Amino acid sequence: MEAPVQIAASLNPHASAAPLMETPMVEIDRLSLWYGAKQALRDVSMSVPKHRVTAYIGPSGCGKSTLLRCLNRMNDLVDGVRTTGTIRIGGSDIGDPGRDVTELRKRVGMVFQKSNPFPKSIYENIAYGPRILGVKHRADLDGIVERSLRSAALWEEVQDRLGDSALGLSGGQQQRLCIGRAIAVEPDVLLMDEPCSALDPIATAKIEELMLELKNSYTIVIVTHNMQQAARVSDYTGFMLLGELVEFGVTRALFTNPRDKRTEDYITGRFG
Amino acid sequence: MAINTGALRGGRPEAPARPLAASRSRTARRILLDRWAARLVVLGGVLIIASILAILVVIVGEVWPLFRPAAAERLSASLVGGPPAPGDAVGVDEYREIAYTITSDSLQFTPLRVGGRYPAIPVPGLEGARITAVGESARGRHLLGTSDGRVVELDVKFQVEFKDGKRVLTPQQEFGAPVALDPERKRAIVRLAGVVTGSGPIVVAQVGPRDLVMQTVVEKKALIGAPRREASLQALPLEVEGEITAFRLDGRGDDLILGTSHGQLVRYDLRDKTNPRPADRSAVSTAALTLVQFLNGDRTVVVGDGAGAVSTWQLLPSPGGGAPRLTRIHEFERHGAPVVAASPSRRDKGFVTADAAGGLHLNYGTSGATLLRLADSGGLRGATFAPKADGIVTVDEGGRLSHWAVHNPHPEITLATVFAPVWYEGYAQPEYVWQSTGGTDDFEAKFSLTPLVYGTLKGTFYALLFAVPLALLAALYVSEFMHPSVKAYVKPVVEIMAALPSVVLGFLAGLWLAPLVERVVPGLFLLPLVETACILTALLLWRLLPLRLRQWVRPGTEVFLLVPVVIAGAWLAFGLGGLVERALLGGDYRGWLLSALGLTFDQRNSLVVGVAMGFAVIPIIFTIAEDSLANVPQHLRAGSLALGATRWQTALRIVLPTASPGIFSAIMIGFGRAVGETMIVLMATGNTPVMDTNIFSGFRALSANVAVELPEAPEGGSLFRVLFLAAFLLFCLTFAVNTVAELVRLRLRRKYRYL
Ligand SMILES: Nc1ncnc2c1ncn2[C@@H]1O[C@H](COP(=O)(O)OP(=O)(O)OP(=O)(O)O)[C@@H](O)[C@H]1O
Ligand SMILES: [Mg+2]
Repeated sequence: MEAPVQIAASLNPHASAAPLMETPMVEIDRLSLWYGAKQALRDVSMSVPKHRVTAYIGPSGCGKSTLLRCLNRMNDLVDGVRTTGTIRIGGSDIGDPGRDVTELRKRVGMVFQKSNPFPKSIYENIAYGPRILGVKHRADLDGIVERSLRSAALWEEVQDRLGDSALGLSGGQQQRLCIGRAIAVEPDVLLMDEPCSALDPIATAKIEELMLELKNSYTIVIVTHNMQQAARVSDYTGFMLLGELVEFGVTRALFTNPRDKRTEDYITGRFG
Repeated sequence: MAINTGALRGGRPEAPARPLAASRSRTARRILLDRWAARLVVLGGVLIIASILAILVVIVGEVWPLFRPAAAERLSASLVGGPPAPGDAVGVDEYREIAYTITSDSLQFTPLRVGGRYPAIPVPGLEGARITAVGESARGRHLLGTSDGRVVELDVKFQVEFKDGKRVLTPQQEFGAPVALDPERKRAIVRLAGVVTGSGPIVVAQVGPRDLVMQTVVEKKALIGAPRREASLQALPLEVEGEITAFRLDGRGDDLILGTSHGQLVRYDLRDKTNPRPADRSAVSTAALTLVQFLNGDRTVVVGDGAGAVSTWQLLPSPGGGAPRLTRIHEFERHGAPVVAASPSRRDKGFVTADAAGGLHLNYGTSGATLLRLADSGGLRGATFAPKADGIVTVDEGGRLSHWAVHNPHPEITLATVFAPVWYEGYAQPEYVWQSTGGTDDFEAKFSLTPLVYGTLKGTFYALLFAVPLALLAALYVSEFMHPSVKAYVKPVVEIMAALPSVVLGFLAGLWLAPLVERVVPGLFLLPLVETACILTALLLWRLLPLRLRQWVRPGTEVFLLVPVVIAGAWLAFGLGGLVERALLGGDYRGWLLSALGLTFDQRNSLVVGVAMGFAVIPIIFTIAEDSLANVPQHLRAGSLALGATRWQTALRIVLPTASPGIFSAIMIGFGRAVGETMIVLMATGNTPVMDTNIFSGFRALSANVAVELPEAPEGGSLFRVLFLAAFLLFCLTFAVNTVAELVRLRLRRKYRYL
């Protein structure tokens, strides 16, 4: 039982440990999802607490990304997707077909595994979302850009070259730019799908630091393959397997004392 | 040496040796194949570049002679009997073998290619008088004026025979009986001009410093016997100051142009032979006018003066309306001495001018250019341009004959005549005209490529105006909104459209679309408006529909619901068009166009070409644009959508800019295709080389022009070479477009290279 010890060592000392007192931001109730005939999520129920970092771990193909994409309905873009169950964010049902998905996506931002800055300037990348929302005045935009870049811990590095192409940034900077871009529209929830998988340890550390910073104002849901990372940054962790949410709970508890045998096998490295 | 090889090999396993060797030989073969493939590719590329360069070299080789400067060399000089008589006293045969001069008492033939001299032929019936003036009334027909006021006609001909395959020229001459123009036979004839018109010959003679007499002969058909000739003699009134210093009759006998010692140019209108009167006069110069000559075709007058200036004049309607006036067209390079002779080319608008100090200029009337300056012996008295415009024969006051060979196959072509506006004969101002052939021998070829370039660009403009929005919007829709399963059918179908032979499109456009369009023009212009309105209304209604109903339609296939809407829109637009035509345009839109907008309507017009060529161009633009849109990484779309952008916003603000290099090259390739397109513009326009922006008039494109005229153009002629120049322009145009497109595309691509 070496791995749990290691992970336990990286557990976040500031993480909250009392699940019962949290206010839920996202409530998922009996969510199942099919890609055509293939079922990718099975009866997932859980709630994501507000202003906390919630992590999903699990072997590849278990449906973590799928679950994440359900939260901002990015799965709608995939042909032949069918879902049952409900998801509430901030108390309202996002599955309502009459609901405006763009409004939902403004409230639920997303950062992708591969950084995807637009082929525009750094400034325009951040200003894109606010512009979509109808912010027109240059002064307003300037303020948003600076605030977002500061929040994304990127301001110091790029303040002199806001007009340069975002594609000239390093991978870690690009990913932070994407985080800044996502928070420029001031979402309630920030979804991050393996945001550090393409980054080196230093860039990863920066982003992890950033997440801890951001959770004061945003509810963060992160998917990661790196269990140390989950242990370091998250307050809550869910373990998924074959589309099922096997176990969900306070991170410390899940890593040090998993209730399910499959969780234990996974975190001790016995499969996956 | 006792090396135990067995021991050396001992530890090595035997088995992997063979596969390793095999793989090594396979690798060697692969490397060889690779090398050969690379060489083959390089060879192919080099061959392509070489063949393009070869085409370019051929084209430039055909074009180059057009702009080669004229050249001339003096072949021989020989002394003839005596000084020439004043006036047009020198001539030469078509092959420049024998020249002739008229001296004070005889006609002298002189061979130009061999030495020796023919015996002088005395002019009969001189009765002791001298020849004091010579005028040429037609080629080889001279009027000889005598010191006692008489005129003798002289006809010089060259009989051509072929003996043993060799050309043998025999000069022949025929003298007429002397006719007295001064009844008292006292005054000498100073200058002479004559012409044979349909109604009979006219002779004008100057018999004193200010005295002109005109003899007209009217042939009257008698019932019996030979026609009766009735000659009448009258003096022409001179209403200007100074002396008469030069004059000439035009070939129709309508106008007598006269120059005075005060530099005045006077035109007598001789249309009414019983009442010749001065019609208009212009001040040409402060020096005396020493020369008046008509260019081939008798429309342009060359005037030379005592100070060496040479200009051309034409009879043009005066600006405020009213009687036509002589108007100065071009000024040519000045001579250093008084101009003494001018001889027009008999095949184009070229002419030679000679001055008293021996300067010879080769000029071209259309372009106003002096093509060549030669220095002949001083004291020139006469010059004649050889009938084939390939030589000049001059004679000086000492009776010395000089023979020049001129090499100038394309005198009418300069850069200016091809691209700049040119003041052609009979035009009120300089214009761009393409008119390569005409009905008469003295036709002035008009080789302005500008209207053709204009036509090409006009056709391209209308085609792109039609094609670019449609193709790009279609590409955007197909790549961003259409359901992939539908797209799988739509794209190949559009691509098949590109394979449609353009001759089929041209045929359809000319014979089916043009008459159809003609009937529904007002509706056609309402179509975009009405369709947009219909589609927007349909969209509005669609949004008002309950969600439950909307869900019946699979996302990405909504477009099929629009098909009936579009059809209904078209029906509505054409219906409305008819209504509008009846109600607002007085029932006939063509009449309205002409009266209200001053636009003429051709059935085969730019609109038809725009649509037809648009159809040829749409598939190309669509395919390339769609490819580049579809190649925009999906994660960019996801990034935008995740920020709450709509699909439309994503398409416009993220996908479109990212795909802009591809879209740009799509448009440029479409442009290149439209510029080079031949069959459609050939068949769907009237091919009239006019220059106007009117969408209802036709045009002639460079490509169509080459196709139309090349079969008619004699090889090596000016038209032939100008057509090659048109081809060269086309080549340059497409080359420039493609290069610019490629450069811009590379720049844009560099901008997006990290994607
Ligand atoms: N667009 C799609 N169409 C069909 N099947 C899909 C699609 N996206 C995912 N799947 C399937 O759904 C299952 C869950 O995929 P998902 O991407 O959620 O896994 P994941 O847990 O994020 O894996 P990874 O850790 O490798 O990213 C997989 O079996 C996958 O093959
Ligand atoms: Mg994933």
